[in-house]
Amino acid sequence: MSVAASSTRSVVRFGRTPKITRHLRKNRMTQLPIPHVNILMREFAPCRLEDHYYSTLQDNAMYMTYVHESGPRPPPRSVRLTYDPTDPYTKNRYNPPVGGSQLGKKPPPPSSPENAIRLEKISIHSMLKDAISSRSNLLGLIMAMRALTGESYKAGGRHAVDGIQIVRGKKSVGGWIRPGIPVGVKVDLKGPAMYDFLGTLVEFVLPRLRDFPGVIMPPSSSSVNSPSSVSGVVSFGLPPSAMGFFPQIEVNLDAYPKPYGMHIHFVTNATGLGAQNRARALVSGFQIPFVRK
Amino acid sequence: MLSRNPLASCRLSTNVSLHVFHRTLATETVTELSSSSIPVPSIRTKRPPRAHISAAVILNRSPIVTRTPTLFERAYYAYQARIRRSLHNPFPFDFYFKQGSLLETRFNMEEKKRERRAFGPNFGRDDEFVSKEKAAADKAAADQLALQEGEVEDFMPRVHTADTIRDLHSLDRKGKRNIYLLLLTNAQGKVMWRFPQGDVEKGELLHQAAQRDLHAECGSFMDTWIVSRNPIGVYKPAPLESLSEEAEKITFFFKAHIMAGQVKLDGTSIKDFAWLTKQEIEARVQKDYWDGVKDVLSDY
Repeated sequence: MSVAASSTRSVVRFGRTPKITRHLRKNRMTQLPIPHVNILMREFAPCRLEDHYYSTLQDNAMYMTYVHESGPRPPPRSVRLTYDPTDPYTKNRYNPPVGGSQLGKKPPPPSSPENAIRLEKISIHSMLKDAISSRSNLLGLIMAMRALTGESYKAGGRHAVDGIQIVRGKKSVGGWIRPGIPVGVKVDLKGPAMYDFLGTLVEFVLPRLRDFPGVIMPPSSSSVNSPSSVSGVVSFGLPPSAMGFFPQIEVNLDAYPKPYGMHIHFVTNATGLGAQNRARALVSGFQIPFVRK
Repeated sequence: MLSRNPLASCRLSTNVSLHVFHRTLATETVTELSSSSIPVPSIRTKRPPRAHISAAVILNRSPIVTRTPTLFERAYYAYQARIRRSLHNPFPFDFYFKQGSLLETRFNMEEKKRERRAFGPNFGRDDEFVSKEKAAADKAAADQLALQEGEVEDFMPRVHTADTIRDLHSLDRKGKRNIYLLLLTNAQGKVMWRFPQGDVEKGELLHQAAQRDLHAECGSFMDTWIVSRNPIGVYKPAPLESLSEEAEKITFFFKAHIMAGQVKLDGTSIKDFAWLTKQEIEARVQKDYWDGVKDVLSDY
């Protein structure tokens, strides 16, 4: 191809689709052709919030949470195990350390550009009490979640995308729940879908909520070793009244049987002591407000 | 897709600052030891003067407009969007639109346009036949709807007038880039560009000194935020041979963001200011100053 021809040709317009000459096998259930190559869908548009993260937030989060350490860390203190691992009798037994779990006592990994804090996924879930009496009540919630997130099972040929998942009861609690019955839905968002949801949330929903000062943080006297404060997850809930503020739902709010609330978890890669504080610092960079009661 | 250089380099520069401290401390202890261990100290080694520390602020305005994708990125995104369009689940029209409503008509027309853009101008032409009168009526109705909803307004331009008239004072210039505040100073008859900086008072913390010095040099008519208490870079001018007895000068840099307002000079030692990108800064500052700060500035 000559230089002139390549410079005049548009890169975003396409001609007619090629005729399919090869015989393609058909899916027996759906009667749709199965492509002979594995088609995988990747990002199809630049992502504004992701750009914001890499141009501003990542640097800021690193500077704010940087802890200086002179030299490499000493090797971790060896913790005595309950059973002797060299004893063939107890060799494969679960061997917990004496003194309990060290989960809440581990220091964060050393500050470095590689483990600067980042948002890994947003997890949304919602439980519907009416679904216990009749599982068909879940359909409205599933439809709302599909409209909110745009996710579906193995979407874009990605086997790791689970789409909208049904949550089933685990225990039998008298008069409330039985094991195995569908009671709610959950969605895990990653990549551009995650940033799209986050952008919609902070620009359309949170500013229009009544009496919403921000995500309420626990008092400063609360434990720093609890599993929630060392796991790097920021969680909060939205009331059912907030669902109507999502523009995807707002266009036909009356198509849904009722408004649904949801729990939202921002999962970051922060671990160790103070992980939740670092996660809050990152999430507030995406303009989620926080208040202390 | 953006460079992650600033982070990688940040670690380097903080290591440099660490190194500096270690060296000065070590030399001090060595001199004291030698003076005490030698029985008759004929010549007392002179203690080196205390280093002169100042705090500087790299005041940043983050990008306010999205980046323009490169030709390759545009081609890539268009191709992926085409795959997405051909593989997506069928859109539930009857769930979102009332049958035969104006909104549905408009959506169908727009959708047809998007499909022809992706799959060629003749895509779907054979499937359905729409009479000319019907098509014209649909188009008129859609135009009427757009007019009612005020959708005919144009977008804001992506290039600001500050760019076209090359106004270096404007905070609206170079909207797609990170820009930084640089001051033109006149110190001892030497005119040079540098970041806002100042001395540290006794008992004052470095980041507090940085905030105070920023307001002292650039006025208090701006709303700024010092990102971190940790310095993000350090600069030491190369010592001159003749003045080796003089105190060492160390400048620590702090990152800050400007939220609102603008610089207002009081017109004494500082002659001018400019909001500049990384490449524009390189052309203005001295070589060794540039080597000290280039890694903490964003390439884009």
